[in-house]
Amino acid sequence: MSERFLYPKDREIYSAAKVKALESLLVEKGIITSETVDKVINYFEKEMGPFNGAKLVAKAWVDPEFKARLLEDTPAAIADMNFPRGMGGAEGENMEAVENSAIIHNLIVCTLCSCYPWPILGLPPYWYKDPTFRGRAIREPRKVLQEFGLTFADNVEIRVWDSSAQIRWFVIPERPPGTEGLSEAQLATLVTPESMMGSARAKSPSSP
Amino acid sequence: MKKLEAPKELMKLQHNLGGLEGLGPVDFEKRVFVEPWETRIFGIHVAMMGLSQHLKEAIPKYPIDQVPTKFRSTWTWADLRKGAEAMNPFDYFKYRYYEKWLGGISGFFVSQGYISQEELDERTSAFLKGQGSTPESRNELIDNQIVEYLRVGDPGGREVAGRPKFSQDDCVKVKNVHPVDHTRLPGHLRGKTGVIDKVYSGFYVYFCSTGPDGLGEPMPVYLVRFDPKDIWGELAEDKSVVYADLYETYLES
Repeated sequence: MSERFLYPKDREIYSAAKVKALESLLVEKGIITSETVDKVINYFEKEMGPFNGAKLVAKAWVDPEFKARLLEDTPAAIADMNFPRGMGGAEGENMEAVENSAIIHNLIVCTLCSCYPWPILGLPPYWYKDPTFRGRAIREPRKVLQEFGLTFADNVEIRVWDSSAQIRWFVIPERPPGTEGLSEAQLATLVTPESMMGSARAKSPSSP
Repeated sequence: MKKLEAPKELMKLQHNLGGLEGLGPVDFEKRVFVEPWETRIFGIHVAMMGLSQHLKEAIPKYPIDQVPTKFRSTWTWADLRKGAEAMNPFDYFKYRYYEKWLGGISGFFVSQGYISQEELDERTSAFLKGQGSTPESRNELIDNQIVEYLRVGDPGGREVAGRPKFSQDDCVKVKNVHPVDHTRLPGHLRGKTGVIDKVYSGFYVYFCSTGPDGLGEPMPVYLVRFDPKDIWGELAEDKSVVYADLYETYLES
């Protein structure tokens, strides 16, 4: 019973060897190829990642008609942009945007697992996958967000969205002050994956 | 005879994380992978989903039988989730996200007979000693299918004749469905009252049947809005709203 809470001595070395062993056996047995895993990883490094979401938000900030469309019919608005083929693909089949404002702040959580809008944000960061976040954010979002460095006035409504079925929610963060005159490309550099899940605000141009 | 309610005392921690107290601060780790090896199990999981037999019945009707892979199983998000939800609850907190994937997926390949535990252990030892190697083996047909699955996906919507039971603004109560091995009902919502905020158009399948829990066949899904005070009572924060997407089988009037 005392072993229940002990980690194996070479925890990471062992896992690294085990996953190599698994992959090599799967390749030998013709289940996957020796290029499969690298191709999957490359897809998320080059084609589907937070850089897509950042472009989406930057455009929404400069183009009010686009933002309205993004909120009204998220997949259609995304399809109109010049993204690589795949925005409606795996974990992007039913994406929906919600908007932050001066009086509404949205936070996305998946209390059951880690559902995340892959095509526009890539893969979920560890904080989002953490059972501690998943269990606490649904009940005390203001407290959790405060721990993340966000505070809100009493009149701000916090909306927590639990991705418990087919929808993959994401957030259009507020445009930071002092960004008038920035280009879309410059604005996109201020948009972080955290800001598109509601656990942070978009960066301000003066911050590092 | 009085209909017996599902016993509320039977529960899986993994289905009931919402509202767990005393968990302490969230580790605001922003990396997707915290160890290089984790990328490999991620890639393997995606490959399994992209080669899965169930994609023959998916909306895009992938030509799975023409893909020259030796993988002949069904593997979906439901299978991965079931593995995680089957874990000892203490292990669920103890092990990291991708450690759970590695355990579940390697166990699947052993239990389905693709590899033996002995093979896996021997090969792991070899790699631990720096003596392991992976053969070079290419096949565009396998890899193209997996990438195509990533691009085109596996939408759950189905064209089915039928009407949603509930309408926008209806008051609904979340059923206390029988606890089973896998669910898409967040446990903290059982027995709670909410309002239909949106009726999603269309009917939606789930990857598997969840038995008495009710999922599987195509059914409507709803965006349900909850007042946190109706979930957590006095412990709810002010000025807060909870939204959850719930399959029709989880709701009653």
